[in-house]
Amino acid sequence: MNLLDIRNLSIELISDDQSILAVDKVSLSMKEGEVRGLVGESGSGKSLLAQALVGVLDDKWRVHADRFHWRGIDLLSLSIEERKALLSRDIAMIFQEPMACLDPTTMIGEQLIEAIDDGQLTGYFWQRKQQRQSAAIKLLHKVGIKDHTICLKSYPHQLTEALCQRVMIAMALARRPILLVADEPTAAMESINEGQIYRLLASLNQLKSMSILLISHDLDNITHWTNTITVMYSGQFVEAGTTNQIFNKPMHPYTRALVDSSPSANLHLPAKSRLKTLPGSIPILQHLPIGCRLGPRCPRAQQDCVKAPSVTNFHGHKVSCHFPLKPLSNPAKKTKKTVC
Amino acid sequence: MARDKIYLEEVFPSPFMQWWLIFRKTPVAMIGFSCFLFLIVLAIFGPILAPHSPVEGQLDMLLLPPAWHIDGNVSYLLGTDELGRDMLSRLMYGTSLTFGLSFIVVIISMAIGVVIGSLSALTTGIKSSFLNHFLDVILSIPSLLLAIVIVAILGPGIANTVWAVVLVLIPQFIHTTRYAVKEESRKGYVLASRLDGASPFRVLYYSIFPNITDRIMGQATLAQSAAILDIATLGFLGLGAQIPLPEWGATLANGLDLFYIAPWTVYLPGLAILFAVVATNLVGEGIRHSLKLRKDR
Amino acid sequence: MSALIEVKDLSRSYQHKNYWFNKKTTTVLAPISFSIEAYQTLAIIGETGSGKSTLAKLLVGAEPASGGGIYLNGQALESASYKQRCQHIRMIFQDSGTTLNPSLTILQLLDEPLRLNTQFDENKRKELIRTTLQKVGLLGDHMNFYPHMFSGGQKQRISLARAIILEPKVIILDEALASLDPSLRSQMINLLLDLQNQMGLAYILISHNLGIIRHFSDNIMVLSQGEVVESGKTRDVISKPQHKVTQKLLVNQNFQLKAKIK
Repeated sequence: MNLLDIRNLSIELISDDQSILAVDKVSLSMKEGEVRGLVGESGSGKSLLAQALVGVLDDKWRVHADRFHWRGIDLLSLSIEERKALLSRDIAMIFQEPMACLDPTTMIGEQLIEAIDDGQLTGYFWQRKQQRQSAAIKLLHKVGIKDHTICLKSYPHQLTEALCQRVMIAMALARRPILLVADEPTAAMESINEGQIYRLLASLNQLKSMSILLISHDLDNITHWTNTITVMYSGQFVEAGTTNQIFNKPMHPYTRALVDSSPSANLHLPAKSRLKTLPGSIPILQHLPIGCRLGPRCPRAQQDCVKAPSVTNFHGHKVSCHFPLKPLSNPAKKTKKTVC
Repeated sequence: MARDKIYLEEVFPSPFMQWWLIFRKTPVAMIGFSCFLFLIVLAIFGPILAPHSPVEGQLDMLLLPPAWHIDGNVSYLLGTDELGRDMLSRLMYGTSLTFGLSFIVVIISMAIGVVIGSLSALTTGIKSSFLNHFLDVILSIPSLLLAIVIVAILGPGIANTVWAVVLVLIPQFIHTTRYAVKEESRKGYVLASRLDGASPFRVLYYSIFPNITDRIMGQATLAQSAAILDIATLGFLGLGAQIPLPEWGATLANGLDLFYIAPWTVYLPGLAILFAVVATNLVGEGIRHSLKLRKDR
Repeated sequence: MSALIEVKDLSRSYQHKNYWFNKKTTTVLAPISFSIEAYQTLAIIGETGSGKSTLAKLLVGAEPASGGGIYLNGQALESASYKQRCQHIRMIFQDSGTTLNPSLTILQLLDEPLRLNTQFDENKRKELIRTTLQKVGLLGDHMNFYPHMFSGGQKQRISLARAIILEPKVIILDEALASLDPSLRSQMINLLLDLQNQMGLAYILISHNLGIIRHFSDNIMVLSQGEVVESGKTRDVISKPQHKVTQKLLVNQNFQLKAKIK
């Protein structure tokens, strides 16, 4: 059974003159214990998708989906309150700038204790304080902070960015989530700390079998840490498959270009030679091309590309393109909008 | 890269125009702004437009009620006071005194404050602190009291009132400017411009001022409403504009004795002051609101 | 080929003003020496606080050096004169969004360095701006636009145009590629490489993305706590790191690189 099954999720920005389809029919599914990467450049709607998933989008955005299942429960049939309660119990999220997400005037310890759910504590009320304290210390140990006394007593500005991100992860873990949504957790971090955070997430995934949705703008940053990857471009679904499929046998021209444009993925290229890349720039939200939004930049674009392509499934490797690169011999079933 | 005609169908305004477009779409701000413009026009052309003299009374028309009253006379639209002077003309003349003077007061103190404030931001150490704080002494005394003290020394009169209010308003402009300039100086483009070899004054003039005008304008509207009230209050207390000048505060004080017989001699100047202050505040609020909206985009 | 720029014993330290007696001094950058040739790229890596940004600021003249000197073709650069220095050494910052003045058009932005540093008349300047914009892959007509009309990648190109318009010898890229999206980043790398070939520029690249450094640079210098701990040809250093700090910096990314080659 899938942990999460979203089909054709669209997110619209409602403004005075017209509404803009910021995310256009994106499907996303996750299995239990899976680490899925969600890759897209800026403006691809990856953060929006994550925020819609956690339910923190405000009134300016309208979300609708054909299917939205969480552990077999159809969330679309539930009322808003029930949905919120369910999602906030099971899904936690960490953000790009941990320092900005923590209250600068409160000590880490207090903030962490606040995140601990009273329902998890057993004991009389006079024991509660002690229990909360020890629960907070346990959480810090879980995220690899050994010096808990100092950490609990410090303010966010006294810690480094990486330590703050660990605290954020600890706070996310306090509710024992089943899915952790990590929205570019290592942006603006040095490479040493970046590796540490990813390793921590990977170990949480292994030990607690917590599923992780890892969002990043850079494909080669996360390939080492994910099982499967979904690629998005400009609010449209591009390609999904296992990390190996995406990285070594990309079928969509966009994914191909992403892989080609990364210098660290092309070690065979001589130094200082030109990198392969797509021409043009990412369209802004107000000037989206019709049909396949990659159209104007795509090297394989043809007349058909003014219509949005449907999703084709090659043995679980899903691609949304009219002219995919080197399709594997005879696609198993070429159905429109395949069920994930 | 980008194609030739990609943006032709859309006009991309400069940041100032962008701000103005947002401002124009805010109805309340636009109402305030049109009232403000109306007051400025009145302040300039009031003396020409006024139907009667503000100081010469008609002795047969004493305490005439406004025209809508049963005893009113259409040629004296807002009635007359105890000396038979036309209230409408007095208010129109008063616009240039109360509102027009406050406008000039704000411009003078803004000019002085911005110069001192930016000098203070450009210098460092004791020089900077001195420039920033030497007028702060003024802040230790309530503005009205200070104005009274100045008037008490220099003697009552409208010119002395103006200097008193100018002096009171300067420190706010110094602080606002200094803070804004310091904040802008930290931004990357100032460093970039400095690395181009621009002198500090060039940086200030070309790089910083265009980006802080809106903030200074917001401060100016706050100062203006304070100035209107100060000038009117001093007039009311008999320390500012002297009889027979038709300054709003003085007119109001003048009518106070006759309040029971002729209430319009009191409420009309009062309403005029209220109108001017509300219009100014609406413009200020509109400026701040549209600045915030522009930042959010 | 002789060295284009030679840096000798450049250092930077602060004196704390708070302590009147017992003056405390903090060294941000120990005396450092290196040289760059034309058509070459020097990469500088290091952890946060290793002094790499300070070094960039010293080179471009945004901060005064405490000691040592910079020599361009054997001629010393004065530390106080921006006018002299900006014709030879230019810098592109990490965040192009804040380094472009939002209330000036691109024309005015690019005009400033020309007006201050050259004697060209207005038509000549305009013509130069047009060709420079075309050189970085934008259109001449973009000069009438305001910075907020451009996307992040285009803004970075404008910053580049501003850097090369005075035809400098050296350009310092302080994490200039970090905030760009991958496809735009490789466009930018291609553009930078092309410009290097055309104009014989030397780059000083400060970055923590080893993939880019490996691809882009000829020499590398590893900084740690204000000191050079290792330097040499990029290929040699990356394949056989000698110093502990270098190994630590490399381990995370090498780890990923190897995983991908499999």
